[in-house]
Amino acid sequence: MKQILQERIYLLIILLVTVCLVAGITFPTNFLTFSNFSQILLNVSVDTIVAVGMMLLLISGSFDLSVGSVVALTACLTAYLMQVLHIPIPMAIVLGLCAALVLGWINGYLVAYKGINAMIQTLAMMGIARGAALMLSGSGSQNLPYWFNTIGQSKLLGIQMPIWYMLLTVGIFTFLFKKTIFFRRYYYIGGNEKAADLSGIQVKKMKMLGFVISAGLAGVAGILISSRLGAALPTFGRGLELRVITAVILGGASLTGGYGKIPGALLGTLFMGIIANIMVISRVSGYWQEIILGIILILTLGLDKLLLKRYAQTA
Amino acid sequence: MAKIKLHRISKSFPGVKALDQVDLEVSEGEIHALCGENGAGKSTLMNILTGNLQPNKGTISIDGHPTKINDPQDAFAKGISIVYQHLSLSENLSVAENIYANGHPINSIGFISYAELYRMTDRLLQELQLDGIRPKTKILNLSAAQKQMVEIAKALAKNPSILILDEPTASLTGKEAAILFSLLRALRKGGTAIIYISHRLEEIFMLADKISVLKDGKYQGTWPREQMNEGKLIKTMVGRNVESLKNESHSTAEPLLSLRNLSGDGFTDISFDLARGEILGLAGLVGAGRTPIANAIFGAEEYREGEIFLNGQHLPGGHPVKAIQKGIAYVPEDRAHLGLFLEMSITDNIAIGNPKSTLKKGWYSLGKAKKIAEKYTNSLRIATPGIGQKTINLSGGNQQKVVLGKWLNTDPEVLIVNEPTHGIDVGAKFEIYEILQFLASQGKGILMISSDLPELLGICDTILVINKGKVAGKLPIAEATEEKLMALASY
Repeated sequence: MKQILQERIYLLIILLVTVCLVAGITFPTNFLTFSNFSQILLNVSVDTIVAVGMMLLLISGSFDLSVGSVVALTACLTAYLMQVLHIPIPMAIVLGLCAALVLGWINGYLVAYKGINAMIQTLAMMGIARGAALMLSGSGSQNLPYWFNTIGQSKLLGIQMPIWYMLLTVGIFTFLFKKTIFFRRYYYIGGNEKAADLSGIQVKKMKMLGFVISAGLAGVAGILISSRLGAALPTFGRGLELRVITAVILGGASLTGGYGKIPGALLGTLFMGIIANIMVISRVSGYWQEIILGIILILTLGLDKLLLKRYAQTA
Repeated sequence: MAKIKLHRISKSFPGVKALDQVDLEVSEGEIHALCGENGAGKSTLMNILTGNLQPNKGTISIDGHPTKINDPQDAFAKGISIVYQHLSLSENLSVAENIYANGHPINSIGFISYAELYRMTDRLLQELQLDGIRPKTKILNLSAAQKQMVEIAKALAKNPSILILDEPTASLTGKEAAILFSLLRALRKGGTAIIYISHRLEEIFMLADKISVLKDGKYQGTWPREQMNEGKLIKTMVGRNVESLKNESHSTAEPLLSLRNLSGDGFTDISFDLARGEILGLAGLVGAGRTPIANAIFGAEEYREGEIFLNGQHLPGGHPVKAIQKGIAYVPEDRAHLGLFLEMSITDNIAIGNPKSTLKKGWYSLGKAKKIAEKYTNSLRIATPGIGQKTINLSGGNQQKVVLGKWLNTDPEVLIVNEPTHGIDVGAKFEIYEILQFLASQGKGILMISSDLPELLGICDTILVINKGKVAGKLPIAEATEEKLMALASY
C-alpha cells in the first residue's frame, strides 16, 4: 500500500478511475461510451507523443520550451515541400522530420556543450521556429494531398490511427527506458550530473541526444496533426509546451530531474483530457478549464508532499 | 543546574531508529563533546535541538523548564545557535549580509542601514580576531576556512546561550583551529553552554569538559574528560577494539601505471610509477594539485603535456569512460556531490559502474543488477535494511562502500581513491583500509590521496609528496614519518 501511494503512476490511476466513476454516474449516457473515450484519446494523442519526449528531458533534469514551435515548423515545412516544391510525399515527411531533429540538435548542442541555460536557449528557439513556420506558410496551407492525410485520418480495428501512434510511442519508450542502458542513463544524469560523468556516462552527448529525440517526437506530432486536419497552420502547438510540461509533472516528473516514468506522460495528458472532456459535457465555460487544471496540478503535488510526510512520520 | 537537558529523546525514520532514548545534559560554561560514529545519531540529535526535526518521544528542558522547539526561528529565540558542518552561506552576498542574514539593522525610516551593518560586522569580526575578513567581501571570494569562520561568526552574532558546533574544524588549518579554540574557551568563561561534535579525538581531549557518546542511536554515557582516554573512547564509540593496521606489503616490481612528465592545470612535470599490488600514497596540502592529477589519469580533466601508460600502453584521455574501459576506477573526494546518486537505490548506484554486467541477452535486467548489488552489499558489509534503500539514507561509511562496490564491479586494475575516509567513523575507516589492502593483495594498483597522515603511513608502501603541483619527494614507507612528510608538503 505504501509503495502504491508513493508511486505517482498508481496514485494517478486511482485518481483517474475515481474521476471516471464519478463522471460516469453523473453523466450516465454521455461519458462512459466508446465514442467519447476514443474522442478523449484522439484529443490527447498529439500532446502525449510530445509529452513522451518531454518526460525524457525532465528525467534528465532538462526541458524544452520550443516543442510547440517545432510541431508547427515541421507541419508547415512538410506542407511547403509537398505543395509548393512538389517533392514526393515520403521525401517531404523525411525532410520535415530532419528539420525537427536539426532544431533539437542545435538546442542540445548549445545547452550541453556550450552551457547555455536550457530555459533561455529553448525560449529563443521557440521564437525562431515559430517565425520560420510563419514565413514558410503565411496564413497556412490547406488541402494537403489525400495520401498524406490518410496517415492521420484512417482507422485500424475501429480506432483512429493517431491513437495507435500514441500507444506505440508510449509502449516503445516505456520498454526502452526499462530495458536499455542507453535510456536508463537519463535517470543518472538527472540524479547527479557530475557523478554520472565520473561514472563513465558521456553526459554532454547524452543530453544533446535527449534534445534531438524530444524534437524528433515533436516533429512526428507535427506531421500527425497536419495530416489529421489536412492542413498545416503556423499556429499549431501554441501553448503546447506548457500543457505538456504540466502533464508530465502531473505524471510524476520533477523539475530537478531523476524522477518520472514514461507511462506517466500518458497518464498526465489523459488526466487533463478527461477533465477537459467532463467540463465540456457538463457545459462548464472553457475559461474554467485552465483554472481547474491549475488547481489540480497544485493539489496533486501537494498530495504527494503530504503522503511523503505521513510516511516519514509513521514509519 | 543544567542549561539544557534532553530526557529520553527518541526519533525514527523509515526503516531506521535514529535515536533511542537519548539523554544529554549540558551546563552553563561547559564544553560538552558529543562523540559517535557517522550514523550514530549525532546529526539527528542536533536537528532536534535546532527545531528542524521533532522527536517522537522524550522531553527537552531549558533552564529547568520543559519546552518544545518548533522550528529554527524558535530555536534562535530560545538562544540556540548552530554552526553546520555543511556551509549554509549565500555565495553571492557579502560577509556582513550573511552574518546578519535575518537581522539587518534598519534606519529611522525602516530601510536597511548598510553603514550600521558594516560597523556591526567589523566589530564582531575584530572580537573574534578575524581581521583578515572584510565585511564587504563576497562569500565566493573567501577560502573554505574563511567561510567556516564566517559561519561561526554568524552563529555568534545572535549571542546564543547554547552553541552547537558540528565538525567545525573540518576545513580549518591548524592556526585557524587554534583561534577557534581560544574563542570557544572565552565563550565558556562567559557562561555559554557549548556542544561540540568532532571526529578529531585530539581536539576533544584538548577542549571538552565532558564527553558523551552515542552508538547506533543509543546513549552510551557521559564522562568527565579526566576519566576518559582515546582508547576507551574509541572502544565506546565502536563497541569493540579496533585492531591496528597490519602493514603487509603486496607490492611487486611489475609496473602497472606510469606517468611521464605530466603537466596540466594545477600540476607540472609529474612522473611516477605504480606497481601491481602497491598502495601508493599521495600526500600534500589541500590544493597542492593531487586531485587534478587524479582527474587527469581518469580522463576527467585535460592535461597539456606528458604521457600516461597503463601496462606499457598509452592511456587515452578525453572522458572517464575510456579510462574505465581500460581498467581504471576513481573514488572521488566528495561522496555526496561527485560519487553518489543520493536519490537512487544502492542497486542503481552499484550497477552504473559496469552497466554491461547488468545485461541479459542484451537487455537490462533488474534481477541481475540486484544480484550484483547483493553481492557487494554482503562482501563489503554495507549496513542497510535492503539494497532498494536510497543511498541518501546511509551513513558516510556505508555510502563510501557503495561507491567502492560500484568500482569493484568493474574489476579495475588501478583504483584511485581520493580522501576515502574523510568524514567516516573509526570502525568504517578500518574496514575501508582492509578492503584496500585486500585489493592490493589481489594484484591491483592503488593510488591513495589522503590528508590523513597516520592513515597514509599505516597502509601505503610508498608515499609521494606533492607540493605546489610538483613532486616534492618520494619516500618508501620505512623512511617516512609524519614530520618528514609535513616538511616536504609545506616547505
